[in-house]
Amino acid sequence: MYLHEHDAKELLTRYGVPVPEGVCVCVGQALPDQLPQPGPWVVKGQISAGGRGKAGIIQTAATREDVERQTRAMLGRTVKGRRVERVRIERCVEGAAELYIGLLLDAETGGVRVILSARGGMDIETVPAAEIRSEVVRLDTIAIADCAARQAIGFDAAAAQALREACAQLAHAFVASELQLIEINPLFVRPDGSWLAGDAKVVADENALSRQPALEALVRTEAAQYVEAAVKLEHGFDYVVVDGDGEIGLLTTGAGLSMMLIDELRAQDLKPYNFLDVRTGGFRGDPARLINVLKWISAGPRVRILLVNIFAGITDLGEFSRLLVEAIRLVPEFRVPVVARLAGNGLAAAREIFLTAGIALHTDLDEAVAEVKRRLEAA
Amino acid sequence: MKLPRIDGNTKVIVLGISGRAGRQHSRIMRDYGSNIVGGVSPRADVKDVDGVPVFADAVSAVRATGATACVALVGAMQLLDAIKDAVAAGIQLLVTPTEGMPVHDAVAALELTRAAGVLWIGASTPGMAVPGEAKLGFLPHDSLLPGPLGLMSKSGTLSYEAGYRLAQAGIGQSVWVGVGGDPVKGTRYADLVPFYQEDAHTEGLLIIGEIGGHEEEEFAQALIARKFDKPVFALIAGRSAPAGVTMGHAGALVHGSHGSFESKRAALNAAGVTVFASLGELVAGVKAGL
Repeated sequence: MYLHEHDAKELLTRYGVPVPEGVCVCVGQALPDQLPQPGPWVVKGQISAGGRGKAGIIQTAATREDVERQTRAMLGRTVKGRRVERVRIERCVEGAAELYIGLLLDAETGGVRVILSARGGMDIETVPAAEIRSEVVRLDTIAIADCAARQAIGFDAAAAQALREACAQLAHAFVASELQLIEINPLFVRPDGSWLAGDAKVVADENALSRQPALEALVRTEAAQYVEAAVKLEHGFDYVVVDGDGEIGLLTTGAGLSMMLIDELRAQDLKPYNFLDVRTGGFRGDPARLINVLKWISAGPRVRILLVNIFAGITDLGEFSRLLVEAIRLVPEFRVPVVARLAGNGLAAAREIFLTAGIALHTDLDEAVAEVKRRLEAA
Repeated sequence: MKLPRIDGNTKVIVLGISGRAGRQHSRIMRDYGSNIVGGVSPRADVKDVDGVPVFADAVSAVRATGATACVALVGAMQLLDAIKDAVAAGIQLLVTPTEGMPVHDAVAALELTRAAGVLWIGASTPGMAVPGEAKLGFLPHDSLLPGPLGLMSKSGTLSYEAGYRLAQAGIGQSVWVGVGGDPVKGTRYADLVPFYQEDAHTEGLLIIGEIGGHEEEEFAQALIARKFDKPVFALIAGRSAPAGVTMGHAGALVHGSHGSFESKRAALNAAGVTVFASLGELVAGVKAGL
């Protein structure tokens, strides 16, 4: 779960990490009477993606009027496929060097990669590899802090002091909040060695939310910003709208097979609306999950058909089809035709139930996709 | 890492055997031929499950049964403790299908299992099988067929579908290992390259991958380093997934070009791997290429 900069900074502040003073303004909200003083300011659009500066949603503002204008220009814009619904307005930091710190969980070794550079900022990608120090250490606050102290040797005194201090604090946040990534770019460092996190990119672990109360509360209060994480937290399965203009709703189980089906549909110029790993194993005889999914898919303005694909070694397809038919009956706004592909146990019972309900049933996925295509073209 | 070639004699214990999944899958694994000799449950009132004796912990279960393999079917938040128990018991092969293990727990489990020399498969794995002999985990019987193809997969369902279609086309598997969809895990594709290189039953290798992380790229490097000389095929899901969004599996997350489909395809192609774009192409291609 990739946090917005504002939320990342709020989290890091809890661990004593200094950040430029700032406020958050959401769509439909007025600017606060008091901006952090004095200016100038920087207005930063909040989305879960990098490269915001180059995308034009980080802008400086000299006056309150500038702040107002930039804020209005940014809110509601779509950048990198995401709608900007919040901005963070911060005091500009001037007269400071821009450094870089990254703490990254290294999947291959199961350690933490500590990355330091004396040259950070927007063009970090162009800093020569020789100037970037990088080492993998154990996932442990002391190991990370020691590593940073070792790697900071040779930087000028102010930079080395700032990198040591900042890494020790960030390491604490990394371990205590069970993070997968903290990237501070730029890390502002003043000539006296004092420092501030200019930007903060944090990736948190959705699987740890139930024992990370601050992050769980964030997902609940900002559910509109963290839609996928909120769905998973609330409902226990994964649902992602992949194309708001999509025409094919997908009722699928299994992350890999759902992704593959989306790829194959797109390759045939068909437009899937959503990704879904509904986890039939979690139904326990209750249509609640299916009811939710049908409601969400019905909200897709261009959805014209539902494709069901369940390949289940364990799931009883008779029970699944009974629950699906019941869910369809209970969601009146769901009105599109259904094409289903089922394979596994209980197929005969499912066939009977679907026949009565008028749902086309295939056992071969390619044939089901072909029927979807035929129906969309015929309409 | 050495992968023990399990068979119908391999003694297996199931942690969490009295739970819903534990009970159901123990029965299904036995139906397939797996030798489930014991279970572990925190419930004092459960003495056996379908005739399988139940113990308080893995240490006791192994002492009583001599089991060397273990399947843990416990909740995500209980998984690290279950792994500690299995490691303490001296288990050699540990399979953990549980989805949703916190990644910092996975790091701790990886350190533990490595230090103890335990082969850990998972978390979030559909399981492993030697078709016709035994299976540990969820792999559906309709997809399992003895044959020449080594198979490794991140996703359960996609591998079920691919395995099923290949089996329908007459192509079975030598050893099937679901490595799972988590970013930090016990066994990665690259770890098993030496095993499949040496395994006499394996005539070709298929990996079923997906976007996110670096594992397919590591695998490609391992093939080159090992001079792997059997045909290798790959199917990678998520080519059209949006960047920055986790697609179901915690590991399936693209940042910029990192973890992208194109990065994986390029690395695999450079190692001589045939990468397919669809399930249909996969079946035809593997049939022609084996």
